[in-house]
Amino acid sequence: MTKAVVQSCFHCNDPVPERSSFVLDFDGQQRHFCCPGCEAVAQSIISQGLGDYYRFRTAPANKATPLPEKLQQQLQSYDNADVLGDLTTKDGQWQQVELSISGMSCAACAWLIEKQLKQHPAVASASVNSSTSRCALRFDPNQTPLSTLLKGIAELGYQASPFIADNEEQHYQQEMRAYLKRLAVSGIMSMQVMMLAFGLYFGEYTGIEQQYEGYLRWISLLLTLPVMVFAAAPFSQSAWRALKAKELNMDVPIVLALYYTFLASVYATLSHSGEVYFESVCMFVFLLQLGKFFEFRARKQARDATSNLLKVMPVSAWLWDGQQATATSARRLTPGALILVKAGETIPADGIIQSGQSSTDESMLTGEYRAIAKQPGDAVLAGSVNHDGVLVVQVQKALTESRLGQIILLQQQTLHQKPQLLEKTDKIARFFVQRLLVIATLTFAVWYFFIDADRAFWVTLSVLVATCPCALSLATPTAITCALARLNRKGILIKNQQVLEVLPKLNRVFFDKTGTLTQGRFSVRHFRLHQSPYSAQELTNLIANLEAYSEHPIARAFSGLLHSQLQLSDVELQVGAGLSALWQPQSGAAPVRVKVGSAAFCQQAQTQAQVYCTIDGILAASVELSDALRPETRTLMQSLKNLHIQSSIITGDSSAQAEEVAASLGVQQLWKSCTPEQKVEHIQNAVAAGDTVLMVGDGINDSPSFHAAHVSVALDSGTDLSKNQADVVLLHNDLSLLSELIAGAKLAKKVVRQNLLWAVGYNLVIIPLAVCGFVSPYVAVIGMSFSSLLVVSNSLRLLKQ
Amino acid sequence: MSIISVLIPIAVLFVILGLAIFFWAVKSRQFDDLDKEAFSILFDEKQQKPEATSPKKDDDHPL
Repeated sequence: MTKAVVQSCFHCNDPVPERSSFVLDFDGQQRHFCCPGCEAVAQSIISQGLGDYYRFRTAPANKATPLPEKLQQQLQSYDNADVLGDLTTKDGQWQQVELSISGMSCAACAWLIEKQLKQHPAVASASVNSSTSRCALRFDPNQTPLSTLLKGIAELGYQASPFIADNEEQHYQQEMRAYLKRLAVSGIMSMQVMMLAFGLYFGEYTGIEQQYEGYLRWISLLLTLPVMVFAAAPFSQSAWRALKAKELNMDVPIVLALYYTFLASVYATLSHSGEVYFESVCMFVFLLQLGKFFEFRARKQARDATSNLLKVMPVSAWLWDGQQATATSARRLTPGALILVKAGETIPADGIIQSGQSSTDESMLTGEYRAIAKQPGDAVLAGSVNHDGVLVVQVQKALTESRLGQIILLQQQTLHQKPQLLEKTDKIARFFVQRLLVIATLTFAVWYFFIDADRAFWVTLSVLVATCPCALSLATPTAITCALARLNRKGILIKNQQVLEVLPKLNRVFFDKTGTLTQGRFSVRHFRLHQSPYSAQELTNLIANLEAYSEHPIARAFSGLLHSQLQLSDVELQVGAGLSALWQPQSGAAPVRVKVGSAAFCQQAQTQAQVYCTIDGILAASVELSDALRPETRTLMQSLKNLHIQSSIITGDSSAQAEEVAASLGVQQLWKSCTPEQKVEHIQNAVAAGDTVLMVGDGINDSPSFHAAHVSVALDSGTDLSKNQADVVLLHNDLSLLSELIAGAKLAKKVVRQNLLWAVGYNLVIIPLAVCGFVSPYVAVIGMSFSSLLVVSNSLRLLKQ
Repeated sequence: MSIISVLIPIAVLFVILGLAIFFWAVKSRQFDDLDKEAFSILFDEKQQKPEATSPKKDDDHPL
């Protein structure tokens, strides 16, 4: 037991680095942590008396990263009355706000957040929904500002941000409740009616007095009525809509069979003749509702998960009047206004730098992975991130007219150009339903006029019941739902179910480069040790400790290399150059001056390396950094080649790195320096050439082309916008999931085909028998249910393994 | 046998009552998140003990 604790982090279960020194006492035992973030989070959870979380949780927490000071400042902008007004609704003295929370791993997290929020006297109510990762919060902003509450949540290791639910989501919520009600009505009534049906069946064999038979039938009729009127309403409505539009869909024969059976049973009840089939009616409705319910739930879960990603875009900005910054909502910025952009913040509008020096990250807008140095007079783009300096920017265009706004507009325009595919089941339904109706009418006519007028009614009934396309209508949705669940478990979130129908036909994949094929951030490629009494491990740890003070993208390359906290004093940060600090190697020893930064900063000769480390002026180490390829890309490319799928790279980056990547992966086709518009064009050309196209990307500049392709895939590390627009989101930041996705889609297709074959085959066998009058309605019901159950269980096979 | 003419309507009444309660539960959002509620029982029971010895701030939260 203790051994396992030593090896994995108490908070997030990640392995603990060997020389880590992050330890806390909890429940009388020493607990080890993998990083300072996890330690800090655990510390605050335990000190707030919420240690129960660790006793009862069922899944380890996500790795915690300490909240950067910059982000804390950003949180404060939520307290501004304008910004708060945009995000919250007023309810008496309370403000109501919806938060989307990321980092929740199990229901215990929901409890933890709720409990912590409720400790604030200003919070009237807080309810966290663990399945949707949302929190409904009512609080008094005059007592405790929103930023304090958000900071409290951040201390527990979760990121909360205000969220505005759209109308569609409200609609989904209502629909979900309606489904539950309909399921309850049809399910409970089925049980009751079946109980009575048992009495009637036994009465058939052992003899039942007519008055009791009539009584049981009447009760069954009454109990079936709410099922027909309430629970089956969606089917009747859909069938009615189709008929009004002079079309046929799957619901038409279902409704026909339902009403025919129901009315026949009502007639039998009134006239004390024939048979009643109320229990079959109820069961039909229940089974069909159940299939639809599971399908709907899978769709809703996928939707909830991704709409959480749509955080409010750069919400706040700092207006600068020369001396003082005041917070305002970014949407209210007008051209000409002066704004202050602090380090680490997202730039809220397109503009020209008036003063200050910094570098910005525009990779999400242009695909350029290197930070771009900015000086007064340079233009900056809304949506790019300001790295290390404080900038004063004069706004040129409001947010909606900015480059970011234009890309979003372009993406909305392409939304309606999505290549459409007719749903296969609809085609089958149309074909099938026409013939079915013709056969039923002919059967009735032939029996009525030529064979036996008395039996015509009942024979037609068994034809309709036996051929009720219950199994046929369950064949595709159940298989698709199970395939979705299976892929979801592997970390693939599918928002658009059509994806599974398209993927088996896939023959072309477009990859974005920066952040998709590559990691989109610097990582250490080569660490060179120079004159130094310290080992490479000690030095990396020292550099990592120092770089933890910087927000620069280069600094982040070292964040994973921090093993133990060192005591540094007199830390100085020089924007765009490097850091220096005093470090005491051993207690009692004289402190040494450590410098980490560019060649010029460290006064060294420039070599291949980007980062140098000197100790008391002597070069100790130099580090080469690069935007490395993701390790799994090579195997992915190979497996795509084996499937005869052509890969292309389409990037906005203009540097030579594009060719390097293409060459090392063996990709023939490469387009570089592409604007978002050109990306859309290239993909549309491929679609026009008849290819089935998949697009993988992560940036804002990729999202318009997502709609041009048949299928779009975004990565977990991508921008919120791209994840929100994509058909598929890979939740694990692992490109090899792409081949899993294709394999899963192929499997789903196989199961759908099996289901359809069975459903159609069964109907082909039973129709002639029913038409000839060999199938009594009672046998038809058993056949129909059996065939539906078979289809459902075949689909459930997808959940195994 | 005539007893069933009394018992069945009573059973039907119970069914209607059950459905009404279920509808109420759905309407008051009890089915929105099934995972968390299962946990809250576990946590709140444990919570009683420390509260008895050292009363904390968090017992004033309104429901």
